[in-house]
Amino acid sequence: MNIIEIEHLKKYYGAVKAVDDITFWVKNGEFFAFLGVNGAGKSTTIGILSGDLPRTEGIVRVGGRDVDECPAQIKRELGVVFQSSALDPALSVYDNLKYRAALYSITGAAFRERLRELETLFELGGIMKRPVGKLSGGQRRRVDIARALVHRPGILILDEPTTGLDPQTRKGVWKTVNAIRKVRGTTVFLTTHYMEEAADADRVVIIDGGKILANATPLELKNRYTGDYITLYGAEEEKLRLLGLGYERVGEALRIEVKDTAEATGLILKHPDLFTDYEITKGKMDDVFLAVTGKRAEGGML
Amino acid sequence: MKTLLSLVERNCKLFFRDKGTFFPSLLAPLILLFLFIAFLGNVYRDSIRSIVAGFPISDGAVEGIAAGWLLSSLLAVCAVTIAFTANTIMVQDRATGRAKDLLVSPVQPALVALAYFIATFLVTLMICAVALGAGLIYVGAAGWHLTAEDLCLAVADTVLLTLFGTALSSVVCHFLHSQGGVTGVQAIVSAAYGFLCGAYMPLDSLTDWLKDALMFLPGTYGTGLLHTHLMDGAIGALAGEGIPEALIEGMKDGFDCNLTFFGSAVPEWTSYLVLALAALVLIALYVLLCSVRLRRSGKRKIS
Repeated sequence: MNIIEIEHLKKYYGAVKAVDDITFWVKNGEFFAFLGVNGAGKSTTIGILSGDLPRTEGIVRVGGRDVDECPAQIKRELGVVFQSSALDPALSVYDNLKYRAALYSITGAAFRERLRELETLFELGGIMKRPVGKLSGGQRRRVDIARALVHRPGILILDEPTTGLDPQTRKGVWKTVNAIRKVRGTTVFLTTHYMEEAADADRVVIIDGGKILANATPLELKNRYTGDYITLYGAEEEKLRLLGLGYERVGEALRIEVKDTAEATGLILKHPDLFTDYEITKGKMDDVFLAVTGKRAEGGML
Repeated sequence: MKTLLSLVERNCKLFFRDKGTFFPSLLAPLILLFLFIAFLGNVYRDSIRSIVAGFPISDGAVEGIAAGWLLSSLLAVCAVTIAFTANTIMVQDRATGRAKDLLVSPVQPALVALAYFIATFLVTLMICAVALGAGLIYVGAAGWHLTAEDLCLAVADTVLLTLFGTALSSVVCHFLHSQGGVTGVQAIVSAAYGFLCGAYMPLDSLTDWLKDALMFLPGTYGTGLLHTHLMDGAIGALAGEGIPEALIEGMKDGFDCNLTFFGSAVPEWTSYLVLALAALVLIALYVLLCSVRLRRSGKRKIS
């Protein structure tokens, strides 16, 4: 079942086409990644989806209902984590969660019960009374996500949630997001320009200049837009050169790009003396993005 | 209702937790009171003595009148200027994107706007209460002539003036989107309002055209009410010291207890009416501005 349906969505600012006739669906419980460089149209789409921005044209449905027809009900279905934290830094974690919950009429015993759940899920016990402004970037992001989930939304929208965070913290954030998906089966709608964050997604849409350029699973995208790589360890460079195989040096290893896995298998079977210590990998999402848009993703690899 | 209360609580807490905003706001009235006493006290004492020149007047009476003037001026200025500082939360929310985040929730935008208004009103009132408390201690030390009725009326004046200040600041801050903008407006209001409302200088000491021009500003009526209720007892007590009634009335005129508009006396109820109407008009304007913003957003959705 589709939980989000976007059909022929357009958002124009005068002559600027921020979003230009895009159509895609997100299935219930899916981890959906929406990729694009800055200004591609990701945040505009999220703004329209969350009722913050008006659309110029098109259909946007959440749970089968148009976002303009019953905005209040749809807003209860959405939890949004913006790129820049919306937490009040002067207030404690507890206060931030309490005041957010009150916007959804979750108060008193209902709030205390929800607070206990979030405290466990996000490991907030030790920081509950601390002002948000004194937390680390990773802790703050965890609180941001907890706050977005305080009303148990069916869809969690993450608008570039890890931008500006160090790799370790990014991993921590993803551990939390994955835990939420596992526990509640929440649909996750992610926008990012860290391409590898999308590698685990169920479906990926790549948008550029307001238009959708690709819409498929990560595997399909990798198969369609990149080849496979055989990384050889301890091999003699001269032998590869004699065989006429194109390669590049990656640290102490040598990497050969092949069209697909079948070609890699054929090559290995043909030269077993050469391929003694090796690994075959698919292309990365960065390569997919480069192939689809002709642009390097700003975030680079995780 | 719980949502509204929660939003109001959040806005108030944000103001009080922001030490950079709260402490200067709290200290401002106390500093102003000190500056009034230190720099202007003698000016007003001399002015009082010059009005009753030739008649004996006790130091206690002079101190009591001067203290009443200083406290009423202080409250008149604080009720409006502090409201501009308290409304910083609304502008900060807009500048940091937290307003956008609030509107992603199902809460009605009108409720958010109302919560800012109520929080600003409450915060301003709390700081005015501190100023009133400090001022009353000073008045008590200088010479207490206030009746319970005058004190209650002065509190009512402060509440009404705070409502006016909150409405005025809400309308002005509605157009601001950055911390710099609100700081600039606060600086202008802090510098100018005391003169414009007749708090720093009695209107009676100004030229006729300027005095009449300032009477078009509703804040002036609030200041006049405070002057009346916090000085009336002290000035009235002069009768017991043998000061003629005409001189006592002259002193009331000189310290704006009797306001005039193009030569006609302004009754007390008129001052209340003007101030209340001004507050209502500004509140209506604030509501209108908020709804226009919402309607514009709606129209964009259709286009």
